[in-house]
Amino acid sequence: MLDTAFLVRRQNPGFLLTSLSYVGGLLVGLTVSAVLLVHAGVPASALVDEFLIATFLTSDGLSQTATAALPLVLVGLASGVAMRVRFWNIGVEGQLWLGAIASTWVALNGSGPEVLRLPTMFVLAALAGAAWIAIPLFLKLKWGVNEVISTLLLGSVAFLLVQHLLFGVWRDPSNSFPVTATFPEASWFLVLGWGQLHAGIFLVAVIALSIWFVMEHSRVGFYADAVGFNAKAALATGLPVLSIAVGLVLLSGALSGVAGMMIVAGTEHRLNQSVGNGYLFSAIVIAYLARAKPLWVVVISFALGAVFTAGNVLKVFYSISEAMIVLMQGAVLMSILMAQFFSSYSLKRPKN
Amino acid sequence: MDFLIGWIAIIPSYAAPLLLASLGLIICERAGVLNLGAEGLMAISALTGAMTVLSGADPWVGLAAGSAAAMALALLFGISTVALRANHTLAGLAVVAIGLGITGVVGRPYVQKTFSGISTLGDLFGIDRGSAFGRIFAVQDPVTLALPTLVGALWWWLSKSRHGLRLRSVGENPAAADVAGIDVQLVQFGAVLASGLFCGLAGAYLSVATSHVWVEGMVASRGWIAVALVIFSRWNAARALWGALLFGSADALVPRLQAIGADVPVYLMMTLPYLLTLVVLVAGSLGGRRSGEPAFLGRVYLRQDKQ
Repeated sequence: MLDTAFLVRRQNPGFLLTSLSYVGGLLVGLTVSAVLLVHAGVPASALVDEFLIATFLTSDGLSQTATAALPLVLVGLASGVAMRVRFWNIGVEGQLWLGAIASTWVALNGSGPEVLRLPTMFVLAALAGAAWIAIPLFLKLKWGVNEVISTLLLGSVAFLLVQHLLFGVWRDPSNSFPVTATFPEASWFLVLGWGQLHAGIFLVAVIALSIWFVMEHSRVGFYADAVGFNAKAALATGLPVLSIAVGLVLLSGALSGVAGMMIVAGTEHRLNQSVGNGYLFSAIVIAYLARAKPLWVVVISFALGAVFTAGNVLKVFYSISEAMIVLMQGAVLMSILMAQFFSSYSLKRPKN
Repeated sequence: MDFLIGWIAIIPSYAAPLLLASLGLIICERAGVLNLGAEGLMAISALTGAMTVLSGADPWVGLAAGSAAAMALALLFGISTVALRANHTLAGLAVVAIGLGITGVVGRPYVQKTFSGISTLGDLFGIDRGSAFGRIFAVQDPVTLALPTLVGALWWWLSKSRHGLRLRSVGENPAAADVAGIDVQLVQFGAVLASGLFCGLAGAYLSVATSHVWVEGMVASRGWIAVALVIFSRWNAARALWGALLFGSADALVPRLQAIGADVPVYLMMTLPYLLTLVVLVAGSLGGRRSGEPAFLGRVYLRQDKQ
């Protein structure tokens, strides 16, 4: 059907062609999203207002965008470091839930000096997230179980665990919704006095910079790319394939766990049923759009943070469902995937 | 005994959507296209089916409309993976996002509106519900009744017929299939559309035949369990039947226990199907290499590539 012309892989598409197809795909995806929004009842004239001005160019909007971007940076990095070694972590939401559970446990039952409360939450959230991804990692290494399915299913299990706790022992009896009691203030990130923005931003900055350094300026990143490109060849070269892969996958789970802590300690100050919603596709979209490069993850997370901020406004004023954000992410991901065809392949017609 | 009969009676309706979806995925993946989009395909057809019936159409028209909607989304998946050679994993995830997104946006006005679905065998033939046999068969519907035949037919078609051989050859060795004169892309497109049809039936069955209502998120990871079932069944339609029954039984256990008022930790019980899936995935891969997996699954074929 499509064989009247030959498809040939471009060996070296070059910067210009790669960027053109990427930007082209992005524009198509954003246009489709805009059309969908207008169709759903947002006036076209309000789009620029809601998505650019109200999210980046006003003080309130910018602080909200930055706050929303913090957990997104973490899950984007989580998805990205795993992608570098070709491990599909589709269970970011599950690891995030486990991190949220661990930090909630510390916040509700904390003892000892109050200065240690946040560090304890951080460490336990990271460990919980790493433990949750350790299961699919073990299953994959030991029996070759496909990690796409195992990580995703454990995400569903984690959400059921949260519901079990929220409808059970952790339920705040004074609240008609299934939520925990508000945390004591020792378990809050310090609010910086600019909107909702909290001290978690420093933690995220340190984490993002460290991962940028490790992945771009140390041997680890180089080894990871070798493992991701061809694990057998990397093993034959004598690279520590197993420890690199295991280390980065566990790091991926830990980052997602910390994202859960970032949300409960930074903005919600309690555990509820919507803490982890919407991070699954966000993580994949950020990591894919950023090509798993840490600095680009930060940039794209801010852009997506703006979409989340705008989404909250649209929900109130135009009663647009939160699912619209998922749909937009799907549309952008799909169109960039499709546009990549034009930089990856060229069409050649047979001579005769 | 009473509990057992009640449980057995509802297992087929829990197994049917899983089975239908995994049959579709088996066809698709036997042709070499890794399809992770089942969750999105099922979501869009569950909503379309409900919307069609709510607008006054016959439930069977609802099933057909749901399948058509899922096939439209599958077409997009086919264009991206088969024609434009996009990464199958990411394209499948994009399909899930699009399917879940569209249903959330479009479905709002239709939430929690009940409608009458497909008639059961009890209504159609006036089966007496006195005996255990009658109680089990009266609640079945024509779809669950037809499924064993469908599985047999599909198994025969895939493993014994000429067209089935062609389809499998595309998934095992597209270069050889190409040389033999098989249009690789055409076969893959057909297989992707078939997965849309079957996943569409599965999703529409959930709303039109089982629940008689649509709520957001009603597919509830069944699409993903179907993806796992395909691995468990080693890409074999007949084994998928047993897998679906196993999962259907686990899935149907919680509502039955709730119905008899057993004091169980509901949410922990609801993790059973997922944990069972993991166990089954491990069991499925114990026999060394994951047997039955099409050799070219999820890879990109270019005619000039040396095999």
